[in-house]
Amino acid sequence: MSATAVAQQVRIAGEALSHRYGARRALQTLAFDVASPGVVAVTGPNGSGKSTLLRIVIGLLRPTEGTTRFEHGGRAIEPPRRRLHAGLATPELSFYEEFSAAENLRFAAETHGLTDAPASVRTALDAVGLTPRADDRVAAFSSGMKQRLRLAFAILHRPAVLMLDEPGSHLDDAGRAVVERLVSGYSAHGLVLIATNDPQEMALAERRIELHGRGLGDPA
Amino acid sequence: MPNGASSSTAAVWAILRKECRSEWRTRYGLNAALLFAVTSLTAVSFASGRLGNRTDIMAGLFWIVLLFATLTSMSHAFVREVEGRTMLTLRLVASPTEIATGKLLFNLLFLGVVELVLVPLFMILMGAPPPEWGRFLALLALGTVSLAASSTLVGAVIAQTRGRGALFAGVSLPLLLPVLAAAVGGTREMWAGHSVASSLRLLAAYAVALLAASLLLYDHLWED
Repeated sequence: MSATAVAQQVRIAGEALSHRYGARRALQTLAFDVASPGVVAVTGPNGSGKSTLLRIVIGLLRPTEGTTRFEHGGRAIEPPRRRLHAGLATPELSFYEEFSAAENLRFAAETHGLTDAPASVRTALDAVGLTPRADDRVAAFSSGMKQRLRLAFAILHRPAVLMLDEPGSHLDDAGRAVVERLVSGYSAHGLVLIATNDPQEMALAERRIELHGRGLGDPA
Repeated sequence: MPNGASSSTAAVWAILRKECRSEWRTRYGLNAALLFAVTSLTAVSFASGRLGNRTDIMAGLFWIVLLFATLTSMSHAFVREVEGRTMLTLRLVASPTEIATGKLLFNLLFLGVVELVLVPLFMILMGAPPPEWGRFLALLALGTVSLAASSTLVGAVIAQTRGRGALFAGVSLPLLLPVLAAAVGGTREMWAGHSVASSLRLLAAYAVALLAASLLLYDHLWED
């Protein structure tokens, strides 16, 4: 994606949005409307639906009720194509352990159809400080290094929206500084959604979507 | 941002190359498939000697060995992604149709490699008469496409379900039986010197139907 594409305005809105996994309500009825540039924190107790909301917005999950709208440069983006305009780093994201960090990202870049995949991979690895371990197999990575790789994966195609689910998990101070740098860099033009309950990460955001579920999945 | 057919082709090609590289490094399926093919043919060869003129038995044996040597690996193409927790990664970089098409192409390639070893090994160990190569290769090609398409489709359907093993058997049986019946019947007729046109037509129709159904279904398979 070009720098111009990143700079185009993004607007994400949800209306009467809720989601259930079977009988358990994972996301209470919610309405929101956010736009770039900026950083938005998605907060709420465990099980209130923070990760579910990110998955719905990026088009991986269809909400049980309600609708979402994702606009980029004034055009509505349908759920199946939102992954091209948004990058997601979440603890559930895993990589091929038989491949190195660079090979995993190279695969993702080629699958995205990026024209200069090697340069995109180098840039992403550099941004998260993984360049010295680029050729090591992911099987040998620590939890913190895997988390950095998730961040690199999310920014690889320079999406207009960066979605970070608990981005500081497993990271040391240097890793948390990487998160702050990424968020700060994106917030100038793009939109960053951070699902977190960490006060340090919440402080990066100027707006907040608060989820009011009772937590741990509302049985109602 | 890339768009349209070129990005889809790039995605399918990248997934195919990823599957090949992963198989080359882990030897997940190829070693098991070749081991099964070699040991089963050697065991039959020891038990009954060269089957020579029993082309009816050889036709069945050939397709059974090919099916069982490759089925587990092909049907697990998606299960490996679920168990390795890489399905989410894949879904974030490619559409379900691109993922499934890449995996289908890999399964076709995988079958082709196993057949390259199996066919000459079978001819030597079983003492099979030389086939009519044109008709034999046509049966093999159409049978291969049908086997790969059905096992990829079933693998995609069962990947995210509980009790995959039981489901796999239940869903596979009705899909695989017509393929095996046509392929075995056609191979037997080929060795008997009869026409194989009806078997080829059936296999071709089945392959087209399976591919068409797969393309229609894949985009809806993993909607939560």
